[in-house]
Amino acid sequence: MMSASTTTSGSRRGRNSRGGPDVGTPVLPGGPRRFTRQWFDNRALPWLLLAPALLLIFGLVGYPVVRTFYLSFHEAGLASLVSGDMDFIGLDHYRHIIGDPHLRRVFLVTVVFGLSCVVATMVLGVAVALLLNRPFKGRWVLGVLVLLPWAMPRVAAATVWQWLFHDQYGLVNWVLVQLGLEGFDGYAWFISPLPAFFAIGVVVVWGAFPFVAISVLAGLQSVPDEVLEAARIDGATAGQRLRLVILPMLKPLLLVLVVISTIWDFKVFDQIYVMTQGGPARSTEVLAIATWREAFTQLNFGLGSALAMAMFVILTAITIVYIRMIREEEGL
Amino acid sequence: MPARGLRRRPRQIAASVATYAAAVVVGAFAIVPLYWMVVTSLKPQAEVRTAEPVFWPSEVTFARYADVVERGFFTYLTNSLIVAGTVTVLGVAFAAFAGYALARFDLSVKRYLLLLVLATQMFPVVVLLIPLFTVMRNLGLLDSYIGLIVTYLSFSTPLAVWILRGFFQGIPAELEDAALVDGCTRFMALTRIVLPLAGPGLAACAIFVFIGAWNEFLFALTFISQDSMRTLPVALQAFTGRSGIDFGAVMAFSTLFTLPAVVFFLFVHKRLSTGMVSGAVKG
Repeated sequence: MMSASTTTSGSRRGRNSRGGPDVGTPVLPGGPRRFTRQWFDNRALPWLLLAPALLLIFGLVGYPVVRTFYLSFHEAGLASLVSGDMDFIGLDHYRHIIGDPHLRRVFLVTVVFGLSCVVATMVLGVAVALLLNRPFKGRWVLGVLVLLPWAMPRVAAATVWQWLFHDQYGLVNWVLVQLGLEGFDGYAWFISPLPAFFAIGVVVVWGAFPFVAISVLAGLQSVPDEVLEAARIDGATAGQRLRLVILPMLKPLLLVLVVISTIWDFKVFDQIYVMTQGGPARSTEVLAIATWREAFTQLNFGLGSALAMAMFVILTAITIVYIRMIREEEGL
Repeated sequence: MPARGLRRRPRQIAASVATYAAAVVVGAFAIVPLYWMVVTSLKPQAEVRTAEPVFWPSEVTFARYADVVERGFFTYLTNSLIVAGTVTVLGVAFAAFAGYALARFDLSVKRYLLLLVLATQMFPVVVLLIPLFTVMRNLGLLDSYIGLIVTYLSFSTPLAVWILRGFFQGIPAELEDAALVDGCTRFMALTRIVLPLAGPGLAACAIFVFIGAWNEFLFALTFISQDSMRTLPVALQAFTGRSGIDFGAVMAFSTLFTLPAVVFFLFVHKRLSTGMVSGAVKG
């Protein structure tokens, strides 16, 4: 797969391959210049290419992560955060998290809400991709329409959906009543946790499914026609072609999308902040909201950092499982 | 197209009816919130809060847009465009280089780098916020474009690397090998062969990065305290708070906030759907 050998045997001397008189003339092996170029292309270049991104990652993600880890063992208010003097208190913040029934509930809620959103996003996204992969008139219209929720800023989407879910004048309740569900006349979505989470989940999935759909569609279109034709000739039905040919070929892509969706849906902040601010009575607080609340309204940056570390551990565990699966697929 | 028997016709008709039905449902789900946003913003005040929804306003009023513009919209728009635009250009360039290196070179540290890239995405941004806030404060970069740009690069670049690496892997290495045989350097092969072929991937990635920066709410909320430096998401949140139940004005602001993102999206959408790679390999 790696093209180092091809490079060696095939590369010619000199950078201006076009138009020079020596074009097409084979070059004898050896020569220091050639060695230098090969060294540059295969040893130095990759690191030069990686350098800017690595600097960003280490400087702006690595440092804060380490710093947050450090903070989670300290008593850190606003003043001590700025000055840098803070007391080491060991695992106290973590003990607090385990002992606090509300925070324990926050963890459960985060996982259940996050996974529900991932499943809904993937199912809807793949279904829409399969739909867009079918030939029908006006397909391009639908292709553009499903891009729009993705293009829409989350804060704007949450603001608009809040209006759609309005108890008295909201379009959602009106539609549900038209469908014969009279109970939704004047139904207040945001006064109890479950309906509030449902409404938030709708907004999250609405914003997330286009990315999955477009990515899967690109994957579907990359499945070679010859393979599908062969399967068809062998008598595979459309369902069999999907299940036995297309989905296995797309498995690495689907796994990556599940990873990305999981990471996004466990971190949902904006929609909840705009729609409920974690209320009523902190019942729609997920980890991101709870972390933010502890850090920026209670100014307990230590506890906030500890909550974030806990979330980091959960996401790491989930992601490691996925990565194992991807590695098996790609032989990475 | 293979010949199809006549007996298949009824099934095909049923399938195509189901396809159109599904298309209508999906299309409505996608578009209705946006439609409702725009329509609400254009309605006369009396038709906004009604028991029976008014789907088509009796007359169109742009008064709320004038109001929103008067309340500083263009300032916020400029801030957002500067920040998101810079982040997109720099982020995609960095990510393209790194993604290519990870896709094509047999680096011994590759598996750790990929883990690192993913790990950066797992960390809740809420928490990068605390240390970065301290750093920006000490460097005097609060209330500045640079503070936001640098921060946004930190969380958009890693995932962009991940996405572009996938795209580069999908481009057959034979194409570059051919270029290398013809005397290209690696870097020329990257800039002249791979990047143009990765056009749809780069476009997708640019969209992704731009939308991420355009959307970003939390850092902007924390880093920016001057009203004149606010980006659109924070400005919308503040606007909603001030406007109370004036849904028309809030929807007008939301519409103006959404519009540039949608236009940008549709503009590059063409590039997304062009299958340049399949053309190059099959053709």
